[in-house]
Parts: sequence; structure tokens; C-alpha cells
Amino acid sequence: MLIDRRMFFIGAVALSTSTRAQTTDLTGRLVITGSSTVAPLVLEIGKAFEKRHPRVRIDVQTGGSSRGVADARSGLADIGMASRALFDNERDLFGTPIARDGICLVAHKTNAVSDLTDEQVKALFTGKAADWQEVGGKPGRVTIVNKAEGRSTLELFLQHYKLKNSDIKASVVIGDNAQGIKTIVGNPGAIGYVSIGSAEFEVSQGTAIKLVSSGGVVPSSAAVQAGTFPLSRPLTLVTKQAPTGLAAAFIAFARSSDMHPLVKEQFFVPLQS
Amino acid sequence: MADLIAVLPRRDLVLKAAVHAAALVVALAFAALLWDVIGQGLSRLSWSFLTTEPRSSGRLGGIAPIIISTVLLLLVAITVATPLAIGTAVLLVDFVRTGSLGARIVSMSLDILAGVPSIVFGLFGNAFFAIYLGLGFSILSGGLTLACMALPIMIRSTEIGLRAVPDDWRRGTAALGMTKTSALRHILLPAAAPAIIAGLMLGIGRAAAETAALVFTSGYVDRMPGSLFDSGRSIAVHIYDLTMNVAGGEKSAYAAALVLVGLLVIINAIALALSHHVLRKRITQ
Repeated sequence: MLIDRRMFFIGAVALSTSTRAQTTDLTGRLVITGSSTVAPLVLEIGKAFEKRHPRVRIDVQTGGSSRGVADARSGLADIGMASRALFDNERDLFGTPIARDGICLVAHKTNAVSDLTDEQVKALFTGKAADWQEVGGKPGRVTIVNKAEGRSTLELFLQHYKLKNSDIKASVVIGDNAQGIKTIVGNPGAIGYVSIGSAEFEVSQGTAIKLVSSGGVVPSSAAVQAGTFPLSRPLTLVTKQAPTGLAAAFIAFARSSDMHPLVKEQFFVPLQS
Repeated sequence: MADLIAVLPRRDLVLKAAVHAAALVVALAFAALLWDVIGQGLSRLSWSFLTTEPRSSGRLGGIAPIIISTVLLLLVAITVATPLAIGTAVLLVDFVRTGSLGARIVSMSLDILAGVPSIVFGLFGNAFFAIYLGLGFSILSGGLTLACMALPIMIRSTEIGLRAVPDDWRRGTAALGMTKTSALRHILLPAAAPAIIAGLMLGIGRAAAETAALVFTSGYVDRMPGSLFDSGRSIAVHIYDLTMNVAGGEKSAYAAALVLVGLLVIINAIALALSHHVLRKRITQ
């Protein structure tokens, strides 16, 4: 709860500076480094911010969440980016979430299975259960659709199910979400995982896929937004102290509802506004 | 050779088949790669792709600032690496006795340097150029890091070219009373020009394909660079980001890859034309 109050405090400070920003023109340069998952989003937010404040420059650099945290601590970066919440030993820093990233299991629309336990998911992806019958479905071979090495969704998936990538008996290895959904549509026995935003979008377009619950939690953007969906993580901006000035204005801008379309464009889930 | 074929016709047939098959595999691999890149990228490629800024993390828009950054990075790398490479190679061939301790140490460090993974160069470049020299994330930091990476291959190639110049030519220059400087300038270096150009092309190829060394040095910013002190994203870094971190960026990644291949073809053509020019000079003078 302490953290929540801190967040509120940051929000309040940020808000007050951002209202001031409307009248006094901001100048200066912000260096933001860290997670390569968050970087494309922050880069776009940075461009929107530069457009509104022409005398500000936002330089975004990547290098991973740990680097973002380290650079924010050492002062090399004004703001660090992390695709996770701060760890307990990083509580000396300030983390402000700007969006959430969630992934969900996706199967073909005709698949009889719509709910799996975590153990069943593990059995499927490690090849211990090679037929849908073994997890309560209709008989049929299971096709595992896994993400390519280096993908952040893969990382999140492995982390949640406590698996190593080498344990996964993948039949198909895919790159991005669209490719994964295409593979599943063309293969009724397939199961994979994609960003929740892109899965919901495809379902709304009538694509022949369905979202599969894991551990009894029904996947939805709303659940990710509320923080109750387990396969999700906050995308966090990290500062050394409570952000002030330009950094505070930028963080408030990133959290504003104006940025929700940009967040959705990256298949992330906006925070509740 | 003709006798050998008469003696061992069958074995040589196998050899002949194997050699042809190997060449075919190489050609097919390249053709497949090119086919894939062209097939996936051509539809996205257009004049505006080459001349506009990226939008929506590169899914839309073009790659103009990224092309400019890449060209600047390569220019910095070439400008710094070429004189250093030629200098070191001349030292190794014409100023140090072959097999001496100094030559052995330099050669060995070159061979080790050539095998160092690029991420190590990236971390070194970040620590030395970006932080210690205070250049920050900039095209200069990135270009200098690329120069370090391209040096070993350029030195080796220049060295081989200089060694291939017959020693009689060296004696000839000495007999004519030429100074070492003018011998190098008028005889030895022009004679080695094709090898120098080949090294340059290999070096540029390695540099242009680089992502790991650049993420921590020239950086990720995809804005049009205002100077060499600005951070700028290279095409290879852009391709990597689009395929790994941007959902729905695949098409743009392929188009950018196509541009990178095109850029390399253009650079190689320029280098080749340059070497022809130097060669002609060598023959007429």
C-alpha cells in the first residue's frame, strides 16, 4: 500500500508540473534507456511529446530492463525503462507504470478445450501431453506454437510457467503475433500464446481463434488492466527520485489517456484512466 | 593434371560432382535469401519509404533518417580505419622483419581481434567512446567502434596485397634511388590497391551488418541526425528492432533489409570502380 501511495504522490507531482507545462514551454533533453520491449512505445510517446514541446528532445536507448534500472540509479539516464515491476532490492528507486503487457493462450475456435490448469499447459508445451484427449479435449494431435528466441512474450510465458525454452517441444516457431494467429487458424490442433491485445482484436474481427483460460482466469484486457491477470506485467518508467521537471512532465504525458491509442498500437494494455 | 584425370577418372568425377554441388549450394543459398527478402520486402518498398521518417515504431512510414545514420556511421568508420589499416600493414610488411617478435605480437593481436564477438566491441565502445571520452550515444561513438571492428580484416587484406608485390619491385625502387615514401605511394600501394579495396569492402560489410556493437554506441534514436554527435539508428539495428520488439513490423523489416542489401551493392560498386581507377593509374604510370 505504501507503493500505491507513492504512485499517487508521483502522479500528483507529475500532474501539477504538466499543467504548468501547458503555459511555460519546456526545454531540454531527456535520456531514457532500458527494456527493448518498452522502447518502441516510449519512442513513439517521445515523438508525440516533442511535437507538443518543440524545444524538448527525447533520446531513447535500449539495452534491457536491468540496464534501464542501473542507468536510472547511476544517473546515466534521466528515466529507465523496465518491462517488469521493480524488485524488492530496487525500492530505493521510483517506478511508475505507463501500461501493461499481457499474453494469453490461443487455440483454434473449434477446439473443445477452453480452460487449462497451469499443470496442463506445462504438460502440453513440454510434450508430455501430445494429444488433446489427455487434457480433456477431443482426440487429436497437439501442435505447439512457440515464439522465437529473444521475444519478450516468450520471456513472459517461460517466467510464468517456470519453464526453460529448451523444455518446450515446439512444432512451429513463430515471430510476431499475427504470424502466430495465422498458424493457429490454419491448424485446428494448435495452441500458442500471443499478446492479449492482438488476440482480442482478431476475435473481434471474426478470426477462427479463441482465448483459452489458464488457471481459471479468463483472459481479457480488462483483467490485465486491473492487474488480476497472472500472465501480465507492468511496463515501468524508473527514476532515481520522485520525478521532477521535464521527467515528471514526460511521465505524466505517457500515462495520459491521449497516449492510449499509441499503447494499443503496440498491443499493450493501457492503464485504467 | 591431364594425366591425373586419365589415371583416376572415377574418383575425379566424384570430386568434380562434389565441387559443383558445393558451388551450387552456395549460389542457391544466396538466391533463396535474396528471393525471400525481395518477395517479402518489395511490396513495402517505395520512394516514400526511402524519403520519409518512420511512424508507429517503423510499422508505417519510411527509413530516411536511418539510411542517413547508416551512411554516416560507415563514413566515420572508413575514414578512421583506412589510414590506420594501411599504416599498420605497411609497418608489418616493409618496416618490420617478418617473424620478428614485434611482428608476431601485432599479427597475433590482429587475429584475436578479428575473432572477438561484436557485442564485446559494443561494450568496449560504450565504455571507452561513449562514457570515458564523453561522446555519449552518438554516430561518432558508433563509427569509431565499427572502425575498431573492421580494422583487423582491413589490415590483413592490405598486408596480403603488399606481400604479393614482387620483391624485385622493391629492389627496383631502391636501385632507382626512390625514397620509401615515394616507392609506397607510386609503386607498392597502387599495386596492392585491389587487395586494399577488397579489405575495405569486407570491413564495410561487417560494419553494415552490425547490431550488437551499435545498440550501445550509436543507439536507438530514429530521428534525422543533426550532427555526428547525435544518436542515430543503423539499418541493421532497425531491422532487429522491427523483427524482435515491434509486433507487425515484419514487412517493414524486410523492406529495410532490401534497402541494406541495395546499399551494400552500391558501396561495393563504388569501391570496385575506385579500384579500377587506381589500377589503370598503376599500369599507365
